[in-house]
Amino acid sequence: MIRAVNLKKIYKMGEIEVPALRGVSLDIPDGDYVAIEGPSGSGKSTLLNMIGCLDRPTSGNVFIDDVDTSKLNDTELAKIRREKIGFIFQMFNLIPTLNALENVSLPMMFYGSSRGKRAKRAEELLKIVGLADRANHKPSELSGGEQQRVAIARALANDPPVIFGDEPTGNLDTESGKGIMNFLEKLNKKGETLIIVTHDPEIAARAHRSIRMRDGTLKA
Amino acid sequence: MFYDSLLLAYRNIRERKFRSFLTLLGIAVGIAAIISLIAVGYGMQYSITEELIGMADIISVMPGRQIIPGMGGYAETITERDIEDIERIAGVEDVGPWMYGTAQVEYRKERTPVTIISGDTQDLEEMYATYAEFEDGRWIYEGDHRGCTIGYSVAHEYFDEDIGINDRLIINGEKFVVVGVLEKAGMMASADLDPNIFLTIRAAQEVLGTKDIYMLTVRISDIDRADDIGEEIEETLDQNHNMDDFAQAMTMSSMIEQIGTVFLILQAVLVGIASIALIVGSIGIMNSMLMSVMERTHEIGIMKAIGATNSNIILLFLTEAGMISLVGGILGCILGTITATLVSIGVSFYIGMEMPAIITPEVMIGSLSVAILVGVISGLYPARRAAKMSPVEAVRYG
Ligand SMILES: Nc1ncnc2c1ncn2[C@@H]1O[C@H](COP(=O)(O)OP(=O)(O)OP(=O)(O)O)[C@@H](O)[C@H]1O
Ligand SMILES: [Mg+2]
Repeated sequence: MIRAVNLKKIYKMGEIEVPALRGVSLDIPDGDYVAIEGPSGSGKSTLLNMIGCLDRPTSGNVFIDDVDTSKLNDTELAKIRREKIGFIFQMFNLIPTLNALENVSLPMMFYGSSRGKRAKRAEELLKIVGLADRANHKPSELSGGEQQRVAIARALANDPPVIFGDEPTGNLDTESGKGIMNFLEKLNKKGETLIIVTHDPEIAARAHRSIRMRDGTLKA
Repeated sequence: MFYDSLLLAYRNIRERKFRSFLTLLGIAVGIAAIISLIAVGYGMQYSITEELIGMADIISVMPGRQIIPGMGGYAETITERDIEDIERIAGVEDVGPWMYGTAQVEYRKERTPVTIISGDTQDLEEMYATYAEFEDGRWIYEGDHRGCTIGYSVAHEYFDEDIGINDRLIINGEKFVVVGVLEKAGMMASADLDPNIFLTIRAAQEVLGTKDIYMLTVRISDIDRADDIGEEIEETLDQNHNMDDFAQAMTMSSMIEQIGTVFLILQAVLVGIASIALIVGSIGIMNSMLMSVMERTHEIGIMKAIGATNSNIILLFLTEAGMISLVGGILGCILGTITATLVSIGVSFYIGMEMPAIITPEVMIGSLSVAILVGVISGLYPARRAAKMSPVEAVRYG
């Protein structure tokens, strides 16, 4: 359960203040599948980063399972990111020096799982996303679709209840994009909460509901 | 997590081989400087102390300096009576007088002033045993009242024609035969040997026209009583000359102590110099870590986004800094040992005296700890900076 109350985010660029969120409130119950749409610059990524605990709002509160994250320190926030949230980026954002298996293991390392457990789980996850045979490949040796599948496996590593995706198919061709979305929707059917920023009307149409943004506010 | 940090740090170091190597070299040079300077310093102290301990049964006695108004010099010198009195002190085995002076020396019609050194011939031989090799001939014997041993410079530099054994010299009007020519001495003993002519005491008294004794070397039978005997000698001479501070008796242990303090200061200076090298090295580490943090800002963001805490990130970077400085430190120890050994071989050869490079485990362990400490401390600032960034900010970077 995620709840945002009157979220505001103002970026300061020297003297100029850029209001990216102007007071956004929303509730996302467990198991939901939400698409966030809107024109470029309307604040979609900013909103996702706030409710995904990647950044702190200028004002307003984010509750994750009824915990007010504005009251948490950096370490506690890191624990939320580690245990409750899986984040998928448009640019995949894998660590280039690590191979697929190690990238998937990384969140479990920060979690403190044993090496044996980690390797087993990472292999399992790579098998689930269909990349069992690419475990030892570096990101640079993988296609875009494959990299994004590794990123999904990584997001699932600590078995978080919520997956956030900021245009997860934005950098992929239509075919691989569909594959990725099918996979994510399958997870949602098993109970995973799915929150996806997208420009693709097809994806928005398949979501349980769609949130439209404009100029830092929600459009009814 | 720690073991994983090691692995990740290793990956990152390998990824930036050349730069890591340069950083590591900075630390290594600093540590090598410290190790080699300390090793050479210890070596010098050791060899000089050894030398003095070898003479621990000797007390040297000199008249204290008495300033006569208008002139520098000694009001009175040690006399025959002083020698007799010292010989009567319990524990004294033998008293050797030493005389110094300058004399006109003539060789094949050419004249020049030369320093005369004179002592019991056995004392001469013992005093210079480690430094003096003979080009030809031998030391003068006690009965050689017309014989002399000459230093290398006297034989080959002071006169147009070289002097060899059996050549004749006229020293202040007295005729002498050369019985030995010394080889050029090493740096340590060069001034004591090369420019001098050595005569027996009897010959020196004649040549210099005086019985004034410059210094005594007193051989004692019980080293443990050296200080007591030294005091007794001073008292005896002060009494003889009716003066408060006429004589100064120097035992080797008091000399060793004095030299010890000098070396302590020397060590401090050397370590100070080496520390500068180390500071430069640590600036290198800090710089390298800052660059590494900048380059990896994006990665740091990713790691934080997937749940890394600030301390996880700090640990990663500190491990990297620690690893670089540990390897740098080890390399420094090796380089330092090699340098110290080469220097000691060079110096031993140059001064003609055994001077080992002394590298104690304490110095090794100390230097390694310093290297790691320096590395970790210089890595701390960049690491903390990296850790504090918000994940989004960091991910957006690059
Ligand atoms: N770190 C930042 N510093 C300054 N301004 C920012 C920052 N991040 C976002 N903004 C500004 O905030 C506004 C919202 O940005 P945001 O990235 O949320 O838009 P978006 O809806 O995700 O757009 P897009 O569809 O192009 O990704 C934009 O005007 C953007 O320029
Ligand atoms: Mg965006």
